[in-house]
Amino acid sequence: MIIQGTNRTGAVRDRADVVVIGTGAGGATLADYLSARGWDVVMLDKGGFFQAHDFTQREDDAMVDFNGRRGLDSTVDNAYFLNYAECIGGSTVHYWGDSFRAPADRLERWRGLGIDWMTVSDLAPHFDAIEADLGTHICPERLFNENNRLVRQGCEALGFAGDAVPTARVDCIGCGWTQYGCSYNRKSSQLITTIPRVSRRGGRIYSDARAERLIMEGGRARGVTGSLIDRDTDEAHGTFRIDAGLVVVAGGAIGSAEFLLRNLEDPTVGKRFYINPHYFVYADFGREIDNVTGIPCAYEVHEFRELHTDSAGRYARGGYTMLCNHQSPGVTAATLSDIGVEHRARMGRYRQLGSLMSVIDETHPGRLWVDDDGHRRTSFRVRGVDVHKAVDFLKNAARIFLAAGAREVWIPDVWGTVVRDEAGVEREIGIRSVMPNAQFAAGSHFLGTAPIGADAEDSFADQHGEAHRVPGLYVADGAAVPGSVSKDPSLTIMAVARRIAQGMHEREGGRGS
Amino acid sequence: MSDSSGTRGSTGLDRRGFLRATAGGGAAIALASALPAGTLKAYSAAQEDGVDLKALSPKQYAVARAAAEALLVDVPVDPGAVARAVDTDLAAVGDPIRSDMRTVFTLLEHLTPLGLRFRRFTALGIDDRRAYLMTWARSRFNLRRAAFQATRGFLYFNTYLREETWPVTGFPGPWPERFEFPVPPVDFGEIA
Repeated sequence: MIIQGTNRTGAVRDRADVVVIGTGAGGATLADYLSARGWDVVMLDKGGFFQAHDFTQREDDAMVDFNGRRGLDSTVDNAYFLNYAECIGGSTVHYWGDSFRAPADRLERWRGLGIDWMTVSDLAPHFDAIEADLGTHICPERLFNENNRLVRQGCEALGFAGDAVPTARVDCIGCGWTQYGCSYNRKSSQLITTIPRVSRRGGRIYSDARAERLIMEGGRARGVTGSLIDRDTDEAHGTFRIDAGLVVVAGGAIGSAEFLLRNLEDPTVGKRFYINPHYFVYADFGREIDNVTGIPCAYEVHEFRELHTDSAGRYARGGYTMLCNHQSPGVTAATLSDIGVEHRARMGRYRQLGSLMSVIDETHPGRLWVDDDGHRRTSFRVRGVDVHKAVDFLKNAARIFLAAGAREVWIPDVWGTVVRDEAGVEREIGIRSVMPNAQFAAGSHFLGTAPIGADAEDSFADQHGEAHRVPGLYVADGAAVPGSVSKDPSLTIMAVARRIAQGMHEREGGRGS
Repeated sequence: MSDSSGTRGSTGLDRRGFLRATAGGGAAIALASALPAGTLKAYSAAQEDGVDLKALSPKQYAVARAAAEALLVDVPVDPGAVARAVDTDLAAVGDPIRSDMRTVFTLLEHLTPLGLRFRRFTALGIDDRRAYLMTWARSRFNLRRAAFQATRGFLYFNTYLREETWPVTGFPGPWPERFEFPVPPVDFGEIA
C-alpha cells in the first residue's frame, strides 16, 4: 500500500518487523528481499510518490518534484553540485540505468576491511538476481545517439578501451530524458519494480514522511518517529511513529548520514564522503548531431579506470572512467563557459555538442556534517593525486572528441578554454581548469558516509550492516559501501543491500520482531 | 523582508555557512561592511516588477535582476522573470541554500572595489556589470569564483529551462508533448 503523507494529517502509528528509511537502490532492494520472505515491512521516504504520467520531462518540474533541494544542493563552497533524488524510488528514478558490477579489485579492497562476503563469487548470485529482475542487458545499438557513436568512434581511432554499458530497462523507446523520471515505465527503477511488489505483499510505503528520531528501547533501535510533509509547502502537517523489530537506514549516503548524525554521536558517520566528481567536456562538431535521444550514456570509456604510477610512485595516468553525457538545456546553460553574447553563442550550438563526463575514482573523500545551525553540510575538494586524474580526464576526453572529428573542444571553465588540436590539449588544459569553482562540477555517486567494516573505530556498521554501537540498527545503501566503486555504483549498492538483507533474514531467524 | 539572524555588518551579511567555509570570507565581510549599504529607494526593482518577495530582500532581488540583465544578451527571456524564479526557488528550498545565495548577492553588490569599480553593482552599466562579473570568475580567491558560479549557474539554469529559449537552442521539447507511446501499467496495489 502506498500511503502518501501529503494526504494525511494528525498522528499515524504503524508497526512492522522492519522499518526501512529510504526507498531507493538500497532500501527498496532490501525491503523487496525481506517482504518476499514473509517479513512485514514499512518503508519511509521524505519525497513524494510520482508515476509515469507525472514525469513531464521538463526540468523545472523535475527539480521541484523530486530533485534533492530542488537541484540546488552543493558542497559548502559551491565547488560541486550534488545531484540526487528525493521521492519514492529514490535516485533510481533519475539515474541513467547504467548497471555495472563492482570490479574485482574493489571488492578485494573492501574484503580487506573485514567484510568476508565482498568477493566476486559471494556477490554473484545477488548481482544475477538483480540483473534478471531489472532486465539488465548490454545497451543495443538502437539506443546509441550520435554523441555515443562519436565517442566510440574517437576511442576506436585512438585505441582506447570502451564498451556499450549494461543498462536496466525493458523495451526502452530512447526518448532521451531518463534523468527526469521515465515517462513510459521502461526504465527499471525501484519505483516500478521492487516498490510495487512490496506494496502488493502488504508492505506500507509512506511517501512525504520525513524520518527524524530513532526510537531506542533497552539500548536497541526499535523504530522511528517523524513528520508527514505537505508536498507543496514542505511543511509538516502530521506525525508518524513506526515501531519495529529492526530499523534500516537507507536514505542514500547523504540522507542516511544526516539522519544518523541527528540521532547518534558516532565519529565514523560522515567522516568520508565519496562523490565520484563529474567534470564535463563539450565538443562542437560544427553540424547538428543527435544528442537528445537514445539514452544519455550508451557507451562507457574504461581505458583509464586503473590508476597507474611511475617507478617513483608519481601519477602516470588513469583513475577515472568516462560516461557519455547529454543534458537538458538548463543544465547545459549552467555548465557552459562565458556570459553574455559569448554564452548565447555557445547555447546556439546546443544541438551540435557532444559531451563526456568524468567519474573520478577519488583517493581523497570529502566529509558530511551537521553545522552549528542544524544544517546538513558537505565539503569536497579534489586534491593530491585526484587533481591529476581530473586533468588527465579533460585531456583524454578532448583527444577522443578531436579524433571523432570535433571542430572544437570546450573545457567549460571560467577561462572559456577551447582546444582544436593535440598541441592545444597539452598547452591549454591544466590544473587551473579543475581548481574549485573554475568550472561547474558535480557529484552524483554518493558513498561511504556510514561504511561497513570490521573496525568499529573506522566504520559505522559491521559486515552484516548492523551498527557497531546500536543493536537493531542497520545501514543498507550507498552510505554502507566503504568507498568509490570506480564506476556507477547503483547496481553495487543494490547488491550490497541484498546481501545485507540476506544476512538479516538468516541472523534474525526469519523475522525482525 | 528582514535579514536572517546572525552576526551582520551594515550590509546584512551573515558570518555563517558559505562565508565561513571559503578562504577570505571574513575579509569579505569586513570590506563589504565598510561600504555604504544603499537605501531602500535604490532597490525598487522588485516593486517595479510587481514581485511579492518570499526569500530575497529588495536589494538582493535587485542584484539578481541586474545580474540577469548582464548575463542574458539576445536571449528572449525577461530578466525579471528569472530573478522572480530565483526568489521562488530559494523560498521553497530554504536554508542553508537561501542564506548562502543571499550572501552571494550581497557580496556582489558591495564588493565592487575588488573589481576596481566604485559604484554598487546595481548602479553599474550592463557592460560594466559583465566585466565586473568576469573579475570574479577569474579571481584567485575561491570565494569570488564560488559567488560567480553560483550566480551564473542559478540564473542561466532558470533561463534555459524556459520554453522561450528553445528557438535559441533548437531543443525539440519533451517527448510526452510531441509523441504518444504506450505506457505499460504498474500495479502499485492500493494508493492512499
